[in-house]
Amino acid sequence: METTDLNLFVRTSEESIAGWDRSKIVDALIRETLIDRDTAGEISKEVEQMIRRSGIEVITAPLIRELVNARLIEKGLESSRKMHTRLGMPLYDVDSLILHPNKENANVPHGPEATNLTLAEGIKKEYALLSVFSQEVADAHMNGDIHLHDLGFVDRPYCSGQSLEYIKKFGLDLPHSLSMARPAKHAEVLLAHLVKFAAALQSHFAGAIGWDAINIFFAPYIEGMSDNDVKQLAQMLIFEFSQQAVARGGQAIFTDINIYWEIPKHFVNVPAIGPNGKFTGKTYGEYEKEAQRFAWKLFEVYKEGDGAGRPFFFPKPIVHITEKFFHTDGHMDFLNLICDVASDKGNTYYVFDRGETAKISECCRLSFKLEESDLLDAKEPWRMRYCALQNVSLNLPRLAYMAKNDDTKLFNLITERFILAVKAHKEKRAFMEKLLSLGENGPLALLTMNRDGMPYLRFNLASHLIGMVGLNEMVQIHTGEEMHESRRALKFGIKAIAHMNLLTEKMRRQENMKIVLEQTPAESTSYRFARLDLRYFSPHAGRIMKGDIASGEVYYTNSTHLNVKHAMNPIERVTTEGLFHPLIEAGSISHVWLGEAQPSKEAIADFVIKTFKHTTNDQIAFSPEFTTCNKCHRTGRGLADTCSYCGSTDVDGITRITGYFTKVSSWNKGKLGELKDRYRNSEFFSERRKAAAND
Amino acid sequence: MQFKEPDCPAVKGFIETSFVDWKGCLASVLFLGGCNFRCPFCHNRDLVLNPGGLEDVPIEYIVATIRKYRAQWVDRIVVTGGEPTIHKNLYRLMGLLKSEGMKIKLDTNGSSPSAVKGLVNDGLVDAIAMDVKGPLDRYSRWCGINVDDRKVQESIEFIMGSGIDHYFRMTVVPFLHREEDVYMVAAHLQGAKDFVVQTFRPDITLNTAFSRIRPFSPDRMNQIKANVSDIMAGESVRGKEVRPHLSIAGKTDQDNLYS
Repeated sequence: METTDLNLFVRTSEESIAGWDRSKIVDALIRETLIDRDTAGEISKEVEQMIRRSGIEVITAPLIRELVNARLIEKGLESSRKMHTRLGMPLYDVDSLILHPNKENANVPHGPEATNLTLAEGIKKEYALLSVFSQEVADAHMNGDIHLHDLGFVDRPYCSGQSLEYIKKFGLDLPHSLSMARPAKHAEVLLAHLVKFAAALQSHFAGAIGWDAINIFFAPYIEGMSDNDVKQLAQMLIFEFSQQAVARGGQAIFTDINIYWEIPKHFVNVPAIGPNGKFTGKTYGEYEKEAQRFAWKLFEVYKEGDGAGRPFFFPKPIVHITEKFFHTDGHMDFLNLICDVASDKGNTYYVFDRGETAKISECCRLSFKLEESDLLDAKEPWRMRYCALQNVSLNLPRLAYMAKNDDTKLFNLITERFILAVKAHKEKRAFMEKLLSLGENGPLALLTMNRDGMPYLRFNLASHLIGMVGLNEMVQIHTGEEMHESRRALKFGIKAIAHMNLLTEKMRRQENMKIVLEQTPAESTSYRFARLDLRYFSPHAGRIMKGDIASGEVYYTNSTHLNVKHAMNPIERVTTEGLFHPLIEAGSISHVWLGEAQPSKEAIADFVIKTFKHTTNDQIAFSPEFTTCNKCHRTGRGLADTCSYCGSTDVDGITRITGYFTKVSSWNKGKLGELKDRYRNSEFFSERRKAAAND
Repeated sequence: MQFKEPDCPAVKGFIETSFVDWKGCLASVLFLGGCNFRCPFCHNRDLVLNPGGLEDVPIEYIVATIRKYRAQWVDRIVVTGGEPTIHKNLYRLMGLLKSEGMKIKLDTNGSSPSAVKGLVNDGLVDAIAMDVKGPLDRYSRWCGINVDDRKVQESIEFIMGSGIDHYFRMTVVPFLHREEDVYMVAAHLQGAKDFVVQTFRPDITLNTAFSRIRPFSPDRMNQIKANVSDIMAGESVRGKEVRPHLSIAGKTDQDNLYS
């Protein structure tokens, strides 16, 4: 039987309609898989027969491919079938994607660009699970034992910490760009370079782009500018970043800017770079006043909020509080200003760098102690470019369901999962190495550009993050108590994290990779784990789950946090949660949810100072809630159904989802459940007492 | 523990660390049950009407908590209600807190000047916040019960002359209050350290009908606050810009009543 007598048209992937040609199947099988020509020919004939019998007249290439796959399975050629897989999406899914918003990440808006992003992510996710990661790792991700973050961005590193010094010194000279800009002469131009570079970096990293000591590095350009001009510059910087929702997938660039009131010790004697990328002859220590001026103006802008009085979502200002902070003139005024912003708009993040050891913040999530060997970096701050290659989170509650109250088994399971996460990191690392080895002609040209004797991305320094979700629930399942309920439960939680900390040390040495423990923000992961565990570990999981099962708004408590619902003294919360922070190098934070209440700046400042002095907490943030009106474009305090100004019901709630502010309407169900539960420090009757009162 | 003080009034609620109840400081807050007023807009309904149904917070727990945090974190405490001064043994509680080294702020409605005076004279009070519900000439209207406004006046005078850190506050309720009423109170309180105007919150109210009243918009409240601070500073606002604003706003008032 010859192929030519089959009167059939095929819609090919090249947007054309071709006549039936059986040899195409053979070609594809030989090209893509490892099977021999005879088997390929046999399969193609079988498929042709089947199509003939069906009497179909027009067939699509994807369908033919799946028919071939079916034959491959029948013949037990599983590995060849995998290689022959077609990635893509069902029509129904694409249709709903185009029509409905994506809720996995609240920082993705809804629009054609966003749809493109989601579609591309979908295919890259499948690609990653099939081709980048081993079956074992991919399966563990699929069934929710672990979560590989940002799989849709598998061909990029995860997040990064950047230095403004790089663009100050080298200008904006990116591979394959249409034009090259020499180092900036003016503050405004430097700002333009910064924003453009950030956008370029956004398309090369999956997550956050952090900028270290931004007010200090801008300082030499600010010399001689009037206060009004500095304010203008601050406004431009914040608006540029918060309105950059036009780049990748219509997403705002997830940016952090690190701000110091004092010049931290490791920068005091560093020669400053000024206009034209030239050393000014002064050190950064001599620019303290200019740096402070810029920091002050930045926070004035944050205080005002955007055109509708809303808080800026990005860039997130991270203020470092060091011992030196308290010995620097004007620190109380500045503290009051940033606390005013925290109370009014919520933007301020307080990072506590205690002790005399200098610390560099690598990105939003990671800071490391400056050791002798790293001092070179601080002396030439343009070299301070850091990244984390990937982030893998462990589903801790699941391990407790499996361990059935056996300590040894539980810790053994944690170890097993941890090693699996390390395996995932090794696989991603190998893949990234492959992409980067293609150099300036490869897909990650920007990250391989070499302007200072080393590639832009310093691969050997890259971190590999391992996070955790639901420690509180793991402890609850295992000990019968949540961590806030008894010292015993809390101690057990600390023991588990200490175990993970130890594993980090061991694996770091064993694999010679920089493995770092972190508090996963888990915006969608805690929801995903919760749903999967409800499926696989019912009914036990139903009793543990936080949120509301009936409405599907279920979640596990984030990382090592304590139950968000428990009416807990904020002092107790930052102190107790802070016990975990020294064990976790990256991203530790405690949240104080404020709700509608608007404390005075002095009360917040008082709390911040005391948190610095009396706890081991690494980072805190205060989160107010807002209602913004789509009709009159004004913003009121608290989450409400109607606008407090005009009474319109066309309103959006705004508050902090995990590590950033966003509209509540874009949140996933798990986070909505958590939002309802959050204790806002206003209830003064316990739940039990309230119930008694209503009887 | 050795705190068998049989006379201490029962504490019905306890916020261990509050950012908002003592301006500029961290403070703990104690809520005592029961009140002699029945302000329809009160948002502590259970505390006022059904204190017996609320579980007590053990004094031992409060003292233990205070001791835990006072050295490093919180050395202030607010005693509020309900109305604390209706408890004849309030001095016991405040004395106990004082002996624990706490600074104390008393929240009161001023209906018992003798109680306030006694506590102040005994050195048990470091600050006072007094609610003024509206102009004194119609006090029973604001409070939902017959009130001797002379007592309220006596408290105001005593507090203003006491030299103790203090402020007065008034919750502005549309429908119940007219904007003018706020200015009358402000004029009456001239010379006080501070007069704080608060926005009414409708979620839970003693008179459930009031939960359907919409508070004044933030804009309107800001205007009122600005006028109040002018009056407190000795400038006459009435008759100037307020009147025309009132008539326009008065209209929207009616529209906004039940939405």
